[in-house]
Amino acid sequence: MDLQGTPRMQTKPNPGFFKRNAPIAGEAEAIENAKNGDPDAFAKLYALHKRRVYTLCLRMLGNVSEAEDMTQEAFLHLFRKLGSFRGESAFSTWLHRLTVNLVLMHLRKKGLQLVSLEETINPSEEDAPKRDFGSRDTMLTGSVDRVTLERAVALLPPGYRMVFVLHDVEGFEHNEIATMLECSTGNSKSQLHKARLKLRELLRESQALQPADGVSEAAR
Amino acid sequence: MKDLASANLDKMTTAEFEEYLPELFESGGGSISKDPRFANFFQAHPDCAALVSDLEIIAEQAKSLFEPSAGTEPSDAVWSNIASKLKEEPPTSKEN
Repeated sequence: MDLQGTPRMQTKPNPGFFKRNAPIAGEAEAIENAKNGDPDAFAKLYALHKRRVYTLCLRMLGNVSEAEDMTQEAFLHLFRKLGSFRGESAFSTWLHRLTVNLVLMHLRKKGLQLVSLEETINPSEEDAPKRDFGSRDTMLTGSVDRVTLERAVALLPPGYRMVFVLHDVEGFEHNEIATMLECSTGNSKSQLHKARLKLRELLRESQALQPADGVSEAAR
Repeated sequence: MKDLASANLDKMTTAEFEEYLPELFESGGGSISKDPRFANFFQAHPDCAALVSDLEIIAEQAKSLFEPSAGTEPSDAVWSNIASKLKEEPPTSKEN
Protein backbone atom coordinates (compact mmCIF):
# COMPACT_ATOMS: atom_id res chain seq x y z
CA MET A 1 0.00 0.00 0.00
CA ASP A 2 1.20 3.49 -0.77
CA LEU A 3 1.42 5.31 2.51
CA GLN A 4 2.31 8.61 1.00
CA GLY A 5 -0.23 11.35 0.70
CA THR A 6 -1.65 12.26 -2.65
CA PRO A 7 -3.46 15.50 -3.44
CA ARG A 8 -6.96 15.61 -2.05
CA MET A 9 -9.74 15.45 -4.57
CA GLN A 10 -12.21 18.13 -3.59
CA THR A 11 -15.38 17.49 -5.54
CA LYS A 12 -17.35 20.13 -3.69
CA PRO A 13 -16.54 22.84 -1.19
CA ASN A 14 -16.20 21.46 2.30
CA PRO A 15 -17.04 24.24 4.77
CA GLY A 16 -14.73 22.84 7.41
CA PHE A 17 -11.84 22.02 5.10
CA PHE A 18 -9.95 25.28 5.07
CA LYS A 19 -10.49 25.94 8.74
CA ARG A 20 -9.31 22.44 9.60
CA ASN A 21 -6.26 22.68 7.40
CA ALA A 22 -5.27 26.27 8.06
CA PRO A 23 -1.51 26.84 7.78
CA ILE A 24 0.30 26.78 11.11
CA ALA A 25 2.81 29.53 11.86
CA GLY A 26 6.36 28.31 11.31
CA GLU A 27 5.25 25.02 9.75
CA ALA A 28 6.47 25.67 6.20
CA GLU A 29 9.92 26.68 7.40
CA ALA A 30 10.10 23.66 9.71
CA ILE A 31 9.17 21.35 6.83
CA GLU A 32 11.89 22.72 4.59
CA ASN A 33 14.51 22.63 7.34
CA ALA A 34 13.49 19.13 8.39
CA LYS A 35 13.80 18.00 4.76
CA ASN A 36 17.38 19.23 4.92
CA GLY A 37 18.06 17.12 7.98
CA ASP A 38 17.61 19.70 10.74
CA PRO A 39 16.62 17.65 13.85
CA ASP A 40 15.24 20.69 15.67
CA ALA A 41 12.93 21.39 12.74
CA PHE A 42 11.62 17.82 12.88
CA ALA A 43 11.10 18.19 16.62
CA LYS A 44 9.07 21.30 15.87
CA LEU A 45 6.91 19.40 13.38
CA TYR A 46 6.32 16.78 16.05
CA ALA A 47 5.35 19.44 18.58
CA LEU A 48 2.96 21.07 16.10
CA HIS A 49 1.20 17.88 15.05
CA LYS A 50 1.59 15.30 17.83
CA ARG A 51 -1.78 15.99 19.46
CA ARG A 52 -3.79 15.74 16.24
CA VAL A 53 -1.98 12.62 15.07
CA TYR A 54 -2.31 10.98 18.49
CA THR A 55 -6.00 11.89 18.73
CA LEU A 56 -6.62 10.45 15.27
CA CYS A 57 -4.86 7.20 16.25
CA LEU A 58 -6.72 7.05 19.54
CA ARG A 59 -10.10 7.47 17.87
CA MET A 60 -9.33 4.86 15.26
CA LEU A 61 -7.86 2.34 17.68
CA GLY A 62 -9.66 3.12 20.94
CA ASN A 63 -6.58 2.14 22.90
CA VAL A 64 -4.00 4.51 24.46
CA SER A 65 -1.05 2.13 24.20
CA GLU A 66 -1.69 1.26 20.55
CA ALA A 67 -2.38 4.92 19.77
CA GLU A 68 1.01 5.90 21.19
CA ASP A 69 2.74 3.14 19.23
CA MET A 70 1.07 4.26 16.00
CA THR A 71 1.86 7.92 16.71
CA GLN A 72 5.49 6.90 17.01
CA GLU A 73 5.30 4.91 13.77
CA ALA A 74 3.58 7.79 11.98
CA PHE A 75 6.33 10.26 12.84
CA LEU A 76 9.09 7.80 12.02
CA HIS A 77 7.40 7.23 8.68
CA LEU A 78 7.05 10.98 8.26
CA PHE A 79 10.78 11.36 8.82
CA ARG A 80 11.49 8.86 6.04
CA LYS A 81 8.94 10.24 3.61
CA LEU A 82 9.14 13.97 4.26
CA GLY A 83 11.29 14.47 1.18
CA SER A 84 8.37 13.40 -1.00
CA PHE A 85 6.01 16.04 0.40
CA ARG A 86 5.47 18.48 -2.44
CA GLY A 87 2.99 20.81 -0.80
CA GLU A 88 0.18 19.90 -3.20
CA SER A 89 -2.12 19.40 -0.24
CA ALA A 90 -1.99 20.86 3.25
CA PHE A 91 0.78 19.26 5.28
CA SER A 92 -1.67 18.20 8.00
CA THR A 93 -3.88 16.51 5.38
CA TRP A 94 -0.90 14.66 3.98
CA LEU A 95 0.31 13.65 7.43
CA HIS A 96 -3.14 12.51 8.51
CA ARG A 97 -3.57 10.40 5.37
CA LEU A 98 -0.19 8.82 6.01
CA THR A 99 -1.27 8.14 9.61
CA VAL A 100 -4.64 6.68 8.60
CA ASN A 101 -2.96 4.32 6.13
CA LEU A 102 -0.48 3.17 8.77
CA VAL A 103 -3.26 2.52 11.27
CA LEU A 104 -5.30 0.63 8.67
CA MET A 105 -2.26 -1.46 7.77
CA HIS A 106 -1.76 -2.16 11.48
CA LEU A 107 -5.40 -3.23 11.84
CA ARG A 108 -5.18 -5.46 8.78
CA LYS A 109 -2.12 -7.13 10.24
CA LYS A 110 -4.17 -7.80 13.34
CA GLY A 111 -6.71 -9.49 11.12
CA LEU A 112 -9.42 -6.90 11.53
CA GLN A 113 -11.47 -6.52 8.39
CA LEU A 114 -12.51 -2.92 8.36
CA VAL A 115 -15.89 -2.03 6.90
CA SER A 116 -16.27 -5.67 5.94
CA LEU A 117 -16.61 -6.52 9.59
CA GLU A 118 -19.59 -8.70 10.29
CA GLU A 119 -20.83 -6.14 12.75
CA THR A 120 -21.01 -3.37 10.16
CA ILE A 121 -22.36 -5.28 7.19
CA ASN A 122 -24.66 -7.36 9.31
CA PRO A 123 -24.74 -5.58 12.63
CA SER A 124 -25.94 -7.44 15.64
CA GLU A 125 -29.26 -6.22 16.98
CA GLU A 126 -27.43 -4.61 19.84
CA ASP A 127 -24.97 -2.67 17.67
CA ALA A 128 -27.08 -1.72 14.67
CA PRO A 129 -28.99 1.55 14.73
CA LYS A 130 -32.63 0.92 15.47
CA ARG A 131 -35.23 1.93 12.94
CA ASP A 132 -36.75 4.35 15.37
CA PHE A 133 -37.44 7.78 14.03
CA GLY A 134 -38.36 9.10 17.44
CA SER A 135 -40.60 12.05 17.92
CA ARG A 136 -40.22 15.71 18.59
CA ASP A 137 -39.87 15.25 22.32
CA THR A 138 -37.01 12.79 21.93
CA MET A 139 -34.95 14.66 19.39
CA LEU A 140 -31.58 15.99 20.44
CA THR A 141 -31.80 19.22 22.33
CA GLY A 142 -30.39 21.70 19.86
CA SER A 143 -26.73 21.08 20.39
CA VAL A 144 -24.42 18.32 21.53
CA ASP A 145 -21.33 19.16 23.53
CA ARG A 146 -18.08 17.73 22.27
CA VAL A 147 -17.35 15.71 25.40
CA THR A 148 -20.66 13.87 25.09
CA LEU A 149 -20.14 13.37 21.38
CA GLU A 150 -16.59 12.12 21.91
CA ARG A 151 -17.87 9.56 24.42
CA ALA A 152 -20.59 8.44 22.03
CA VAL A 153 -18.09 8.09 19.15
CA ALA A 154 -15.93 5.87 21.37
CA LEU A 155 -18.94 3.59 21.86
CA LEU A 156 -19.53 3.09 18.14
CA PRO A 157 -18.72 -0.31 16.62
CA PRO A 158 -15.22 -0.07 15.06
CA GLY A 159 -16.38 -0.07 11.43
CA TYR A 160 -18.90 2.71 11.99
CA ARG A 161 -16.39 4.68 14.07
CA MET A 162 -13.76 4.43 11.37
CA VAL A 163 -15.93 5.89 8.62
CA PHE A 164 -17.42 8.56 10.92
CA VAL A 165 -13.99 9.74 12.09
CA LEU A 166 -12.55 9.75 8.59
CA HIS A 167 -15.47 11.62 7.01
CA ASP A 168 -17.14 13.81 9.60
CA VAL A 169 -14.13 14.56 11.81
CA GLU A 170 -11.13 14.37 9.48
CA GLY A 171 -12.96 15.66 6.40
CA PHE A 172 -11.98 12.95 3.93
CA GLU A 173 -14.27 12.44 0.94
CA HIS A 174 -16.13 9.17 0.41
CA ASN A 175 -14.02 8.28 -2.62
CA GLU A 176 -10.87 8.69 -0.51
CA ILE A 177 -12.33 6.61 2.31
CA ALA A 178 -13.42 3.93 -0.15
CA THR A 179 -9.85 3.72 -1.43
CA MET A 180 -8.38 3.59 2.06
CA LEU A 181 -10.83 0.98 3.33
CA GLU A 182 -10.94 -0.95 0.05
CA CYS A 183 -14.72 -0.72 -0.19
CA SER A 184 -17.17 0.99 -2.52
CA THR A 185 -18.10 4.67 -2.25
CA GLY A 186 -21.69 3.59 -1.69
CA ASN A 187 -20.61 1.39 1.20
CA SER A 188 -18.74 4.31 2.75
CA LYS A 189 -21.85 6.52 2.49
CA SER A 190 -24.03 3.80 3.89
CA GLN A 191 -21.68 3.12 6.81
CA LEU A 192 -21.51 6.82 7.60
CA HIS A 193 -25.29 7.07 7.68
CA LYS A 194 -25.54 4.08 10.00
CA ALA A 195 -22.82 5.56 12.20
CA ARG A 196 -24.74 8.83 12.53
CA LEU A 197 -27.97 6.94 13.27
CA LYS A 198 -26.19 4.93 15.94
CA LEU A 199 -24.69 8.10 17.41
CA ARG A 200 -28.12 9.69 17.53
CA GLU A 201 -29.37 6.69 19.44
CA LEU A 202 -26.44 6.84 21.88
CA LEU A 203 -26.78 10.59 22.35
CA ARG A 204 -30.52 10.37 22.99
CA GLU A 205 -29.88 7.67 25.58
CA SER A 206 -27.25 9.88 27.14
CA GLN A 207 -29.61 12.87 27.24
CA ALA A 208 -32.38 10.73 28.68
CA LEU A 209 -30.12 9.86 31.60
CA GLN A 210 -29.48 13.51 32.41
CA PRO A 211 -32.03 15.22 34.66
CA ALA A 212 -33.98 17.85 32.76
CA ASP A 213 -33.44 21.46 33.83
CA GLY A 214 -35.47 22.22 36.88
CA VAL A 215 -36.44 18.62 37.60
CA SER A 216 -33.68 18.01 40.11
CA GLU A 217 -34.38 21.43 41.60
CA ALA A 218 -38.07 20.60 42.01
CA ALA A 219 -37.29 17.25 43.55
CA ARG A 220 -35.42 18.83 46.42
CA MET B 1 -27.74 4.64 -3.24
CA LYS B 2 -31.15 5.92 -4.25
CA ASP B 3 -31.73 9.04 -6.28
CA LEU B 4 -34.57 11.28 -5.16
CA ALA B 5 -35.06 12.91 -8.57
CA SER B 6 -37.71 10.46 -9.72
CA ALA B 7 -39.38 9.89 -6.36
CA ASN B 8 -42.83 11.10 -5.36
CA LEU B 9 -42.48 12.92 -2.05
CA ASP B 10 -46.26 13.22 -1.60
CA LYS B 11 -46.62 9.47 -1.22
CA MET B 12 -43.35 8.79 0.54
CA THR B 13 -43.12 7.42 4.06
CA THR B 14 -40.44 8.37 6.57
CA ALA B 15 -38.79 4.97 6.17
CA GLU B 16 -38.68 5.39 2.40
CA PHE B 17 -37.27 8.92 2.73
CA GLU B 18 -34.52 7.63 5.00
CA GLU B 19 -33.24 5.43 2.20
CA TYR B 20 -32.34 8.58 0.29
CA LEU B 21 -30.59 10.25 3.22
CA PRO B 22 -27.02 8.96 2.68
CA GLU B 23 -27.02 10.42 -0.82
CA LEU B 24 -28.87 13.57 0.21
CA PHE B 25 -26.36 14.31 2.95
CA GLU B 26 -23.54 13.84 0.49
CA SER B 27 -25.04 16.12 -2.16
CA GLY B 28 -26.92 18.55 0.08
CA GLY B 29 -23.97 19.94 1.99
CA GLY B 30 -25.57 19.22 5.35
CA SER B 31 -28.60 21.50 5.05
CA ILE B 32 -31.39 19.14 4.07
CA SER B 33 -33.66 20.47 6.82
CA LYS B 34 -33.62 23.90 5.16
CA ASP B 35 -34.07 22.62 1.62
CA PRO B 36 -37.38 24.09 0.35
CA ARG B 37 -38.00 20.96 -1.76
CA PHE B 38 -38.64 19.03 1.44
CA ALA B 39 -40.50 21.67 3.47
CA ASN B 40 -43.94 20.14 2.89
CA PHE B 41 -42.67 16.62 3.48
CA PHE B 42 -41.07 17.58 6.79
CA GLN B 43 -44.22 19.41 7.85
CA ALA B 44 -46.21 16.25 7.20
CA HIS B 45 -43.57 14.01 8.79
CA PRO B 46 -42.22 15.74 11.91
CA ASP B 47 -40.49 12.55 13.02
CA CYS B 48 -38.44 12.60 9.84
CA ALA B 49 -37.75 16.32 10.30
CA ALA B 50 -36.43 15.53 13.78
CA LEU B 51 -34.24 12.74 12.44
CA VAL B 52 -32.72 14.93 9.73
CA SER B 53 -32.17 17.80 12.15
CA ASP B 54 -30.42 15.49 14.63
CA LEU B 55 -28.17 13.99 11.96
CA GLU B 56 -27.24 17.49 10.81
CA ILE B 57 -26.38 18.48 14.39
CA ILE B 58 -24.19 15.40 14.77
CA ALA B 59 -22.38 16.01 11.46
CA GLU B 60 -21.83 19.68 12.30
CA GLN B 61 -20.63 19.04 15.84
CA ALA B 62 -18.26 16.31 14.59
CA LYS B 63 -16.15 19.03 12.96
CA SER B 64 -15.33 20.38 16.41
CA LEU B 65 -13.65 17.07 17.25
CA PHE B 66 -10.90 17.73 14.69
CA GLU B 67 -9.04 19.87 17.20
CA PRO B 68 -7.89 17.65 20.07
CA SER B 69 -9.29 18.41 23.49
CA ALA B 70 -7.02 19.98 26.08
CA GLY B 71 -4.76 17.49 27.75
CA THR B 72 -5.00 14.91 24.99
CA GLU B 73 -1.47 14.20 23.92
CA PRO B 74 0.96 11.32 23.74
CA SER B 75 3.25 10.69 26.70
CA ASP B 76 6.80 12.06 26.65
CA ALA B 77 8.05 8.52 26.06
CA VAL B 78 6.74 8.67 22.49
CA TRP B 79 9.07 11.49 21.51
CA SER B 80 11.95 9.90 23.43
CA ASN B 81 11.49 6.72 21.41
CA ILE B 82 11.23 8.63 18.14
CA ALA B 83 14.31 10.73 18.92
CA SER B 84 16.41 7.69 19.79
CA LYS B 85 15.30 5.84 16.63
CA LEU B 86 16.02 8.87 14.47
CA LYS B 87 19.61 8.84 15.65
CA GLU B 88 19.94 5.38 14.12
CA GLU B 89 18.32 6.47 10.83
CA PRO B 90 20.24 7.94 7.91
CA PRO B 91 19.38 11.56 7.11
CA THR B 92 16.19 12.10 5.08
CA SER B 93 16.70 12.32 1.38
CA LYS B 94 14.66 14.40 -1.03
CA GLU B 95 12.65 12.07 -3.22
CA ASN B 96 11.37 14.74 -5.56
